[in-house]
Amino acid sequence: MLALEFPPLSHIVNWPGFFGTDGAWYEINKVVLIYAFAVVLTILVFALGNKKQLVPTGMQNVAEMAVEFVEDGIVMETMGKEGIKYTPYLLSLFFFIFFTNIFEIIPIIQMPASARIALPLFLALLSYVIYHGAGIKSHGFGYFKHALVPPGVPVALLILVIPIEFISKFLVQPFSHTVRLFANLLAGHILLVTFAVLTSGLFVPKWYAVFAPLPLIGVIFFTAFEVLVSFLQAYVFTLLTGVYINAAQSHEH
Amino acid sequence: MQRIRLLLAAAAIVLLGFLGFAQPSAAEGKLSHPAEECIKEIEAANSIDVDCQKAPNPLVPEVNEIIWGVVGFTVVFGFIWKMGLPSIKSGMNARTERIRSDLDAAEAQRTEASGILAEYQAQLTDARSQSTKIIEEARQAADEVKATLVAKAEADITELRNRATSDIEAAKVQAIADLRGEVASLAIGAAEQVVERNLDHDTNVALVESYINQVGAGR
Amino acid sequence: MLLAEITNKGLAALTYGLGAIGPGIGIGYLVGQAVQAMARQPEAAGMVRTTMFLGIAFVEALALIGFVVFFLAGA
Repeated sequence: MLALEFPPLSHIVNWPGFFGTDGAWYEINKVVLIYAFAVVLTILVFALGNKKQLVPTGMQNVAEMAVEFVEDGIVMETMGKEGIKYTPYLLSLFFFIFFTNIFEIIPIIQMPASARIALPLFLALLSYVIYHGAGIKSHGFGYFKHALVPPGVPVALLILVIPIEFISKFLVQPFSHTVRLFANLLAGHILLVTFAVLTSGLFVPKWYAVFAPLPLIGVIFFTAFEVLVSFLQAYVFTLLTGVYINAAQSHEH
Repeated sequence: MQRIRLLLAAAAIVLLGFLGFAQPSAAEGKLSHPAEECIKEIEAANSIDVDCQKAPNPLVPEVNEIIWGVVGFTVVFGFIWKMGLPSIKSGMNARTERIRSDLDAAEAQRTEASGILAEYQAQLTDARSQSTKIIEEARQAADEVKATLVAKAEADITELRNRATSDIEAAKVQAIADLRGEVASLAIGAAEQVVERNLDHDTNVALVESYINQVGAGR
Repeated sequence: MLLAEITNKGLAALTYGLGAIGPGIGIGYLVGQAVQAMARQPEAAGMVRTTMFLGIAFVEALALIGFVVFFLAGA
């Protein structure tokens, strides 16, 4: 029998703290360390990118490309001119999520912080507060009518439409926003672990060790794939935040 | 060549990795501590539904992760909001401004240059027409001078010819008059001789010839 | 230790697999149509791409909810 030591889920994403007792509110574990790395990397990108040369090189290029990407590709695409004031928020969302994601494939750490539900949940709830706040600021209390009653629906159908809209906009939307990021990264992480465990399990002095390269190729392929996923999920999370803000504050239906 | 070397290096690294990891993996049964415990527990219970297999639900967030996540995101947001984005944007805006001003300056220079060019061309056209005019005038003047000169020369020639003709005419009249006088005196001289001597024919002829010779030698 | 013991876990995994069929078809159709649109009107590619990712995000949510349900039911 193949001795597959597949670790239970708790061993894949739960990390013991190395500062503070288990379960203390200030406990620092691997995930918290990844947050710290993400913060430091974001600050580094902006600090090193802030050279103000006329012809951008190196880090300046990266920082300016990222700013342009978020501003032109996300803010302008979803909200247009009136969304410019949300750029700092969306930019920090993008950077923080991307860096916490990308640690999924960085050797030694190899753990996306977004595979723990804490961060996606917090960010989704923060975005939830922000976009509903933007809606209330833009429409006053008419916002709830704006959000719940789609235009051009016959009055008789409203009794059906309003609960559906309420559930989708106020309950499912933050949940799916959270889960999209969390589950994508958790799935990617489990995928990588599965292939790594398979490779390691096949790597024994037995005849079936000849199959060991196959999952190894899988690991390499999915590592490359996860780079894409890390970027894409950061992009999608930020894009959706922009779309939700726009839907909440826009005046035209 | 470079690619082949890279491939060889990659193969060597992979091989080294295999050799390095083969040692611990070959020693089978050396599982990590919690996993070993768990396997023992499973074997004891003869079922896989034991506590150590049950993970804490991944859908329940950990308090410490939320708190540190809030802290981390707040730091990132504060930094980007107050420092990172404004400075990058100011750099980008400065560049945009710079490029725009450069383009404007280039445009202005281009306009100026084209103005100067037009001016030069106008001047050139002017000069060309002027030179044409001057040449035309010069040609006219030359023609006039030529015409006067030709006329004058012709007048001169006519005058000269007239004068020469009258001179010749006068000389001819004079010569005829002279000749006439001479012939008369000659005839008179010859007649005198003839009359003086009245000799024979031979003597007469000799006399006339000698006279004529005398006259011819005397002239 | 049977490999395929019918447990909560097995059922959850099976159900997740069933739940992934729909979004799989949906995303395939969506991306195909988006590529067609981009090929027809390359000048609108940026807008189509953004909308495509939005659509993928919404469709994918279904599969991911299935993934979460897998954890709720099985793990």
